[in-house]
Amino acid sequence: MSTPVTAPISPYAIEVNNLTVGYGSNILMKDLNFTVNNGEIFVILGGSGCGKSSLLKNIFGLYQPLSGDVLIEGQNITVAQGAERQKIMTSFGVMYQQGALFGSMNLLDNITLFMQEYTQLTQDQMNLLARCKLDLVGLLPYETYMPSDISGGMQKRAAIARAMALDPKILFLDEPSAGLDPITSADLDQTILDLSKNLGITFVIVSHELASIYTIADKVIMLDKAAKGIIAEGDPRVLRDTSTDPMVRQFFNRITTKDAV
Amino acid sequence: MSVSETNSAVSPKTSTPVAVWSQIDASHAKITLSGVVNVYTLGGVWTQIKDSQNAWLANIPASILPNASLVFDASQVTSLDGAGIAFLIGVQESQQKAGAKFELQGLESRYQPLLHEFDPISNLFPVPVVKPKRSFVVSTGMAMQNLLDDARGLISFTGHLAADLFWSIRHIKQVRWGDFVNAAVEAGIAALPIIGLVSFLIGVILSFQAAIGMKQFGATTFVGPLAALGIVREMGPLITAILLAGRSSAAFAAEIGTMTVNNEVDALVTGGLSPIRFLVVPRVLAGILVAPILTLFADIVSIVASMITMLLYGIPFINFYNGMISAVGVEDVLSGLVNATMFGVVVSAMGCLRGMQTGTGAAAVGISATRAVVSSIVMIVLVDGIFAVISYKTGF
Repeated sequence: MSTPVTAPISPYAIEVNNLTVGYGSNILMKDLNFTVNNGEIFVILGGSGCGKSSLLKNIFGLYQPLSGDVLIEGQNITVAQGAERQKIMTSFGVMYQQGALFGSMNLLDNITLFMQEYTQLTQDQMNLLARCKLDLVGLLPYETYMPSDISGGMQKRAAIARAMALDPKILFLDEPSAGLDPITSADLDQTILDLSKNLGITFVIVSHELASIYTIADKVIMLDKAAKGIIAEGDPRVLRDTSTDPMVRQFFNRITTKDAV
Repeated sequence: MSVSETNSAVSPKTSTPVAVWSQIDASHAKITLSGVVNVYTLGGVWTQIKDSQNAWLANIPASILPNASLVFDASQVTSLDGAGIAFLIGVQESQQKAGAKFELQGLESRYQPLLHEFDPISNLFPVPVVKPKRSFVVSTGMAMQNLLDDARGLISFTGHLAADLFWSIRHIKQVRWGDFVNAAVEAGIAALPIIGLVSFLIGVILSFQAAIGMKQFGATTFVGPLAALGIVREMGPLITAILLAGRSSAAFAAEIGTMTVNNEVDALVTGGLSPIRFLVVPRVLAGILVAPILTLFADIVSIVASMITMLLYGIPFINFYNGMISAVGVEDVLSGLVNATMFGVVVSAMGCLRGMQTGTGAAAVGISATRAVVSSIVMIVLVDGIFAVISYKTGF
């Protein structure tokens, strides 16, 4: 039996119970169980094509899981409907892998769109808020640019700024630092750390960038395609040094498949 | 010290004021922030505080303005988000702009680093750029330039297309026949129902309208030959071409446009392949094949519709048929089909050209599809006009 929509106040930002992810008869991940603490930077790892992005989309309710529940701040998003679901949806922000900015709007309008819908602020106030978000990701001079006029890396950063539009308590970022130069990537890591430490924002990040993971992650889970589940969980630095699982060691120490055999 | 004016704002969600304005004396004021300050609770409150601050600053004489100070008390805040920080920055900026003092008190240390993320805050308040208005002469010149560029693009595309079509005839095995078949099926067979429906209705309407007029002169017998001639020479090819422009030209533009946006066309060029030979030639060949066939189909359906309509006016099929045979010759049908073939080339080529001229972003694909339909229809009318003149001069 699934958990009702309104559960008692949860100590976790996100709680995943017996989640099975897949498309029809193609099961990608089976019976996943994990929790994300409030204010934590949680990273989902795994090889390409193992279903990390699909898992993320199941967690924030874009796709319906095959079975199991996801509780966001104690609210079950898998069964929530209508206004209740919308309320849960506004409690988090999402940055998609390709940025997914609205091509017909400039960066400032991309960010203020959600504020116009959900807040009572005036346009000037929303613009100031949006500029603050753009400043955080280093894009302040580009507020009037259209998404198609800026580079792919800048689009990703603008998408992070848009995800923060309503100052959500949880941010889901799908490969935020992929394709960024080392300096911008390091700046972004620092921004994530600051937001987490100072505003208590919980981050759920899908990433491959080992350097970034060691810098920011409080906790990681590593997914494996063959095992259809989690093969490692914990602090990435500890996993790198102590894990006995050959896959995990190979991943964290960047060992080629040929050398690992 | 007395509190002369208190202006509190109540947030609709928490029912407790998150920010309270209090004026201590003429040159001293205080904003007290409390509770949960976020993007939702600040709605309305922000505007009220801002109005109070502006009114207060406006009333202070310029001589004592540098000594006027506003205290921002954040000691009672339970939680603050990015919007709260932006609010604080907004108040601070107004003070700085007026040349007055600003003092922040009691902000929890964990929020302090966030404030320094935005140094200097003046960057957050850019001077609005007023775009200079373009004069009439400049606008006209630019419009003319665009028209010339478009014409140049069209001429160069026509040249490339002709060269690549010629190349394809000599290297017939290297034409992408798979793409040709797909395009022909999509533009041809899939278009049969809509072309059938529209031509049937046009056939009915044309005959009805003609019959109403002709009846007054007792000449309903001549409606058949009249309608059939009009359909075969003009209406059939035109209906088909316009429907192809709406369906296939837009589809070609959207498909090639999306490829352009995704750099697929660039990949063809850098791979040493001609995008025109690769993408345009199969589609234009498909247009050449399907347009006359669809026109013939439209002709037949329209004439059958006309026959059925005239039956209501008491003209039997055989009379209609005999009248039609005496009025419509093989050269009329051929003239219509040649016309249709030209339309087929124009419609598919315009769709492909607009697709390849697509800019960047998702919106650009939509613009290209629209431009493809509009230019196709303009070109259809142009070609039809030229063909009518040639037909009149040569008697074909």
